[in-house]
Amino acid sequence: MASVSEMYDVTWEEMRDKLRKWREDNHRNSEQIVDVGEELINEHASKLGDDIWIIYEQVMIAALDCSRDDLAWTCLQELKRQFPGSQRVKRLAGMRLEALEKYEDASKQYDSILQDDPTNTAARKRKISILKAQGKSAEAIRELNEYLEQFVGDQEAWHELSELYINEHDYGKAAFCLEELMMTNPHNHLYCEQYAEVKYTQGGLENLELSRKYFAQALKLNNRNMRALFGLYMACYCLCVATIEPSFQKGQVNAWKSLPLQGLYFVSKPHCCQPQSERHGEKGQCEVCYLGHQSNQPSLSAGRSRDKGEQMLREGRGGDAGVHHHVLGPTPNSYTPLFYMAQQGSSVGSMLCNLPLQTRPPPPLPLLLDDLKQDCSPI
Amino acid sequence: MGEVELSCLAYVKMYLHGCLFPRCSVNGLLLSSSPAGGAVCVTDCVPLLHSHLPLAPITQLGLTQVDVWCAQTQQRIVGYYQANACVSDNSPTPCALKIADKIAEQCNNAVLLMIDGGKMSPDYRVPPIVMYERKDTRWTLKDKHTIMLRQWEETREIANQLLDSGDHSLLVDFDSHLDDITRDWTNQKLNAKIAELASPANVCTWMSRVEK
Repeated sequence: MASVSEMYDVTWEEMRDKLRKWREDNHRNSEQIVDVGEELINEHASKLGDDIWIIYEQVMIAALDCSRDDLAWTCLQELKRQFPGSQRVKRLAGMRLEALEKYEDASKQYDSILQDDPTNTAARKRKISILKAQGKSAEAIRELNEYLEQFVGDQEAWHELSELYINEHDYGKAAFCLEELMMTNPHNHLYCEQYAEVKYTQGGLENLELSRKYFAQALKLNNRNMRALFGLYMACYCLCVATIEPSFQKGQVNAWKSLPLQGLYFVSKPHCCQPQSERHGEKGQCEVCYLGHQSNQPSLSAGRSRDKGEQMLREGRGGDAGVHHHVLGPTPNSYTPLFYMAQQGSSVGSMLCNLPLQTRPPPPLPLLLDDLKQDCSPI
Repeated sequence: MGEVELSCLAYVKMYLHGCLFPRCSVNGLLLSSSPAGGAVCVTDCVPLLHSHLPLAPITQLGLTQVDVWCAQTQQRIVGYYQANACVSDNSPTPCALKIADKIAEQCNNAVLLMIDGGKMSPDYRVPPIVMYERKDTRWTLKDKHTIMLRQWEETREIANQLLDSGDHSLLVDFDSHLDDITRDWTNQKLNAKIAELASPANVCTWMSRVEK
């Protein structure tokens, strides 16, 4: 089989740098790490210098992930030889036992590390992982709570605890963990968005309000977060339906909020815009995005040729001769699947589907969020 | 109850979904393009999530979108599949039961399919799936003799071939679609590849190889 350096035409330095990048970003692309790392170790060990030890560790963990016990054993032996009596190497030995499902032996290994050094967080976390692997979620949660009482600032642990609670459907406690994370990481849009999802799942008017606010906050931090965008739309819709008298006005507000969603899909799906003869089914619907098309309609960004989306289209298609554009809003014989939230007999839902075309371009995303800013509680 | 037939396409995509995310729980929907009544024939599947399965918003979104797509393509949602992250435990989780209940409200013969991770090896003799059906508001194990998977050997070969060639990374589930919305969650490209591999010419080549 061809080596990695041959297949991708890379030098050993590039391979080493790639491994470093994966290590620093904490990627879990174990198969790639094993391929690249194994070749580096076998062919270029002498050139790596002291880097080789950390590469052995990285490759060993990736090898355990891919069930490559032979490679993992080799790496472990090298590390044991170089660092006899090291706690870090002991932990790796424990991880190998875990991979072989010898949980008792692995647990003993971690206990011996903790005897020598009770503050060793890695060993404690591995013990909790053993409980998780054995399916003992309740015990894992209990142990993790005890761990967090001592090590309150460990964000990885808080996140893990929130995942465990979500799997147990204990949404209140999961929300608490995510609140801790948001306090220490106010600029992380992913935590905001996850918190909003948990609140949405909990349901109830108050939780939906909170959910809407935090989806909006996540969007403010990263306006390309699709989950937050959809979540915001859905939370708004649920609130509209839940409040006392859904009126046409509310339907309009919802549609207006949904326009950025359409806008994003339009900008990001240039491949949909092919000449009608090529890609369309019988009903004139684009088979990829299921939006109805009408040719020769003014484009979303007519008159805004500097718009990035339009540029992408033009570059991709060499001018817009024969290119049709998504018509904004539902067309007579189609409905946009993105916004089909109509429930049986729901007046708001049906209103959404029958709204007329907006004659003015949709408000840009920042404007949308400013509108909600007054609702957004500071974190 | 009724018979259930699982098509090659549906099985291969489910299997690849599980293989693509070996450390996460994954789930998805089973679709049928045959009319209601009689045996349920699962012709396709849509992989949904690989993270935070018990959270509502994205599940709701995915279900709605698939529902609409099915209405447009004359398909119906007839079942739900899930593979748990914990390989030793393949019993349906509460969220699996909830979603399956919702599907059963719309479709009488809905099935709940759990993929048995411990049995997912390249040369396993029987498909690593456990099927449940709804009897009197409870989900009970389905009689194995009412589950059909035509041409199991060929299906298994197709799945293995796609795994070996790395094509399982072509699979797009709804979660991946949300990470990059240019990716197609209906997996038309992968469907075409599987159809090509399942064509009679290819099948003959394998059968001759298997017999050797």
